Amino acid sequence: MLPFTYFRPRTLDEAIEALRAGGESTKLLAGGTTLYDMMKIGVEAPAAVVDIHLLRELDHLEVRAGELVIGAGARMSAVSAHPEVRRLFPAVSESLWRSASQQLRNMATIGGNLMQRTRCAYFRGGVPYPCNKRDPGTGCAARDGVDGGMAVLGTSDDCIATYPGDLAVALVAFDAVVDVLGPDGARSLPVAQLRPLPGDTPHVEHVLRPGEVITQVRLPITAVAAKSAYLKIRPRESYAFAFASAAVGLVLAGSPAEAAVIECRIALGGVSTVPWRAAAAEQWLIGRPLTEDAARTAGEIAMRGAEPGRANAFKVELGVHTVAQSLLSLSRSES
Amino acid sequence: MVVPTTFTVNDTHQQLDLDPRESLLDVLRERLRITGPKKGCDQGHCGACTVHLDGQRVLSCLTPAVQVEGRHVTTIEGISGPGGGLHPLQEAFIENDALQCGYCTPGQIMSGIACIAEGNAGTDDDIREYMSGNVCRCGAYPGIVAAIRQCAHRTEAS
Amino acid sequence: MSRVDARDKVRGAALYGSDQVPDGLAHAAFATATIDRGQITEVDTTRASEVPGVRLVLTHIDELRPAGFVMGGGFAVQSFQPLTTDRIAYKGQPIALVVADDPVTATYAASLIGATYVTEPFAVSLDDPGATAVVQEEAIPLPFLKDIKFGDADAAIAGSDVRVEQTYDHPPQNPAPMELLASVVEWRGDTLVVHEGTQNAAAVRNGLAQQLGLDASKIEVISPYLGGAFGQKNSLQNHTGPLAVAARRLGRPVKLVLTRPQTFHSGSFRPQSRHRIKVGADRGGRLTAIVHEADQQTSRHDLFPATFTEVSSRLYGVPAFRGRQRLVQTDVQTPGYMRAPFEHPAAWAVESAVDEISYQLGMDPLELKLANDATHDPVTGLPFSSRHVSECLRRGAEMFGWSRRPARPGSWLDPDGAQIGWGVAIGAYPASMTPAVARVTANADGTFQIDVDGHEMGQGIRSAIALLAAELLEADPALIRVGVGDTRVATQHLTAGSWGTASALPAVRAAVLELRPQLGGTLPVTVTASNGLPEAMVERARTGLVTLAGPVYDSFVTFSYVAHFVEVRVEKGTRRIRVPRVVSVADCGAVASPVTAASQVRGAVTWGLGAALREHLELDSRYGGFVNATLEEYPVSVNADIGQIDVDFIDKPDYQLNPVGVKGLGEVSMVGVAGAVSNAVFHATGRRIRKLPITLADLL
Repeated sequence: MLPFTYFRPRTLDEAIEALRAGGESTKLLAGGTTLYDMMKIGVEAPAAVVDIHLLRELDHLEVRAGELVIGAGARMSAVSAHPEVRRLFPAVSESLWRSASQQLRNMATIGGNLMQRTRCAYFRGGVPYPCNKRDPGTGCAARDGVDGGMAVLGTSDDCIATYPGDLAVALVAFDAVVDVLGPDGARSLPVAQLRPLPGDTPHVEHVLRPGEVITQVRLPITAVAAKSAYLKIRPRESYAFAFASAAVGLVLAGSPAEAAVIECRIALGGVSTVPWRAAAAEQWLIGRPLTEDAARTAGEIAMRGAEPGRANAFKVELGVHTVAQSLLSLSRSES
Repeated sequence: MVVPTTFTVNDTHQQLDLDPRESLLDVLRERLRITGPKKGCDQGHCGACTVHLDGQRVLSCLTPAVQVEGRHVTTIEGISGPGGGLHPLQEAFIENDALQCGYCTPGQIMSGIACIAEGNAGTDDDIREYMSGNVCRCGAYPGIVAAIRQCAHRTEAS
Repeated sequence: MSRVDARDKVRGAALYGSDQVPDGLAHAAFATATIDRGQITEVDTTRASEVPGVRLVLTHIDELRPAGFVMGGGFAVQSFQPLTTDRIAYKGQPIALVVADDPVTATYAASLIGATYVTEPFAVSLDDPGATAVVQEEAIPLPFLKDIKFGDADAAIAGSDVRVEQTYDHPPQNPAPMELLASVVEWRGDTLVVHEGTQNAAAVRNGLAQQLGLDASKIEVISPYLGGAFGQKNSLQNHTGPLAVAARRLGRPVKLVLTRPQTFHSGSFRPQSRHRIKVGADRGGRLTAIVHEADQQTSRHDLFPATFTEVSSRLYGVPAFRGRQRLVQTDVQTPGYMRAPFEHPAAWAVESAVDEISYQLGMDPLELKLANDATHDPVTGLPFSSRHVSECLRRGAEMFGWSRRPARPGSWLDPDGAQIGWGVAIGAYPASMTPAVARVTANADGTFQIDVDGHEMGQGIRSAIALLAAELLEADPALIRVGVGDTRVATQHLTAGSWGTASALPAVRAAVLELRPQLGGTLPVTVTASNGLPEAMVERARTGLVTLAGPVYDSFVTFSYVAHFVEVRVEKGTRRIRVPRVVSVADCGAVASPVTAASQVRGAVTWGLGAALREHLELDSRYGGFVNATLEEYPVSVNADIGQIDVDFIDKPDYQLNPVGVKGLGEVSMVGVAGAVSNAVFHATGRRIRKLPITLADLL
């Protein structure tokens, strides 16, 4: 690890000022589970680190004005276990406790989790692997390589790295917004817009401007979010990144025998380069009874456009089933 | 860069000049000779380095040591019961043979104590899920689940 | 009785090699090759050397002599010694050793080392162009590596009523013990002291003596506990010699802990293998013959010998067998003995094929196995000293409830839509013995000290020794201290191959029996005794060379056996595979330490499940090396993967093998698990998957 300057601001304003003054080679450190890890393996090498892990201003969680508001500094474990999160957004709670391990969740923050970088082995492996995300213009070793874990949706010629997180998948499904604060003041943007597709600039992983800090996440409280779940399929039963995951919400109406979908939300993880909202699948389901066939069709629509490589074609079929199974088990638990 | 840092380990006051690159794990093991926390991967993938930070389980390998300024670190060396006897979970690990080579065991026990305290040891499935951040290559998992279950029930009963 | 060293282990008080922090300790780190094969033209150490706190940078160590490959009459994990040559033989090979005052500086400086190479074409997998196959019995003309053949297997199969001919692909896998490869090395005067987790302190000692030109009496290897090994720590590692040189030059103790990716790329691993199996049977359910042709990956610089057919020829009482083993040279570090190294892949392949034939015959696979148990060793014609395969099967079937199994594959559905399948497979593992000498001292305070050949790597050898001695001495086990893994107290021959307990216990027994009559006299009194193997073998073991007897002895043949019954559930839709329960019954002779023995079996079953369902080292033929060289990407089983594992033992002592009656357990209990899983997946789904690991991707 390269030597770096360490600064522990007492306030958020001090942190923003330090970020602004430090420029691009200054990074925010919160839980450390991504940045410090990547510094150890040489993928990140900031000249200066601004440690915000104990900033009280960022560590909060409350319900107000029809929204759940989660501070960017709140720990994943605390948010997952919070009664209001479990009651109002079961999929968010589940996406959190199915992430990483409890030790890591005690360390990692909500804001940091949203900024988590890919776990692509070629990206993390360093030399000799070319990687456009790590070293722009060098190429993509994952294409034509060991790609069983790579994305099939939202890929480009330059990058097929999977977005590894779970929380953002649930947040995207339920229209969450992040508030950011920077040298030019505050602004908000949908979580769905936080990460651009890799395109020909896979090293650009977010749209935050220099010096901007995520301060909180806001989730609109809705009926469909309260009837939600997160299904994660992975190489082992816990402590692993997803092969495929789905955050779904479902409101049905009508008699149990003929219940039709009034509202639904579907987002996918593990199969795509960014958290993947499946709006077309949602729309297709509206008004239909949630039969096994309908659930499968919704899954197929959600996976439409998938472009598999050598060993990840299974993710297309798995994505379909992950969506279908999560919808069906949710409908069963509702009826 | 040197960052003067003050913290406690197992209730003992420590004051060290730290390089901000140093992990808590290396500081514990190499500077303080507290070698219960083990290095199994040094990158957050195994749980062998688990310690408590202000009572919560964390991975010391991914904790920059400068972050423990003003905080309380507890390792396997600091959990003995009153009078220096074993902690009930240590006893339960022995009774259920929840270990083989022993290398992951300090991390398992630190994790298990926290798992019970968090309320995540209510069912065997909960224990399996919330103990999955501690890899045991010897495969002592059934014993680990039994030990935590037994200790959690005793804790509840008392 | 509980595990005797459990109290130390649960307190974090058991000291592993890298737990040593001697005064003045310096810390080392490796820089490694980024190409797979070629020639180093230059290693640039300038920037690394300029980092404050860096004390030494080594790129080429002239004074290290070859230590030889452990399976080629030498002492080391491979014959190739990095840092003594400009050759690059595999990706991740160390090209420089940096020593600094602290770990952060050493790691940082190592990252500043650059190198230029002339690259050459390479092969890393069996199918890569440039991978070259050699016939093992021709390449290594040693009796025990000769292809096993009896009867005319090909003719018998051709004339059989039913036959199976299939190929089974086993991936490379890594033992991934929790303890990284690591050492702390210090010179105390002219004595070299090595703290390192090793299964073979004798080879570390004698190998270092050869490398450094020292007398072995000037080297002490101290390894009281291993953080797991599973075969990966079976000889002198490539880092220890360079570390000893660094410590001598600096006049300071030096610690090196390899990173996890470095451990993946330096440590030995289970090589890729491919098994062509032919099995024939008559309509009555008698197996007529088995053919087993195996290809196994090895390195370019060593022939890592395969003994798959030693077990595949003996699982059943077949009248004819033909084995053929080839080694395929690839550009990797030399592979090695990962738990049940040949027996697990061999039994998986044969037990899959035998299961296939049971469906062709319309016969319950359990019945087919019972009908074909061997009455004597089919290879030599000698009797088995003990073989309780049928009893393992019968008892396991009863515990598991096998009689409730519907015969037709793919027919059993859970109400939640999951497909349920039950599978059975057997395993065998050679019962060998190695020389062991025990020194037992009765102290005046009523305590006993027992020092013996053996290493404690989690199998519970201290417990087995203490339990036996306590019984013979009618003493409290707490009064017995056991010294193992320390060259200051015994030779410390390699502990592996499930021979540790079977070798140590007879020596302990002999010494204790000799000591017992003297307990009434003046104390302390010390008695030394060996386990009865010939003195010539004891002498050879003292030189640090692997010295082995069995499984074919003069008048009998000895193996350990096991039967596994596995239930799988394949989830509807996502095809997620889960294993809610396993029943395993082992025939390991006398059960020396019931508590630790049961744990051994549960652990081995966990290994089998991981090997069957998850573990696969991913090779990249474009870059070489392993892509998934972390514990994140190489998915060993976690707690949530493991369900109920019920264990039982036949517990019939084998007094022909040794007077304690113990065979071996740690390895055999993994053998057959993968076969039972494969067979259960077939029973659940009707899909026969002939490669490992079996994942949901195979069933979608």
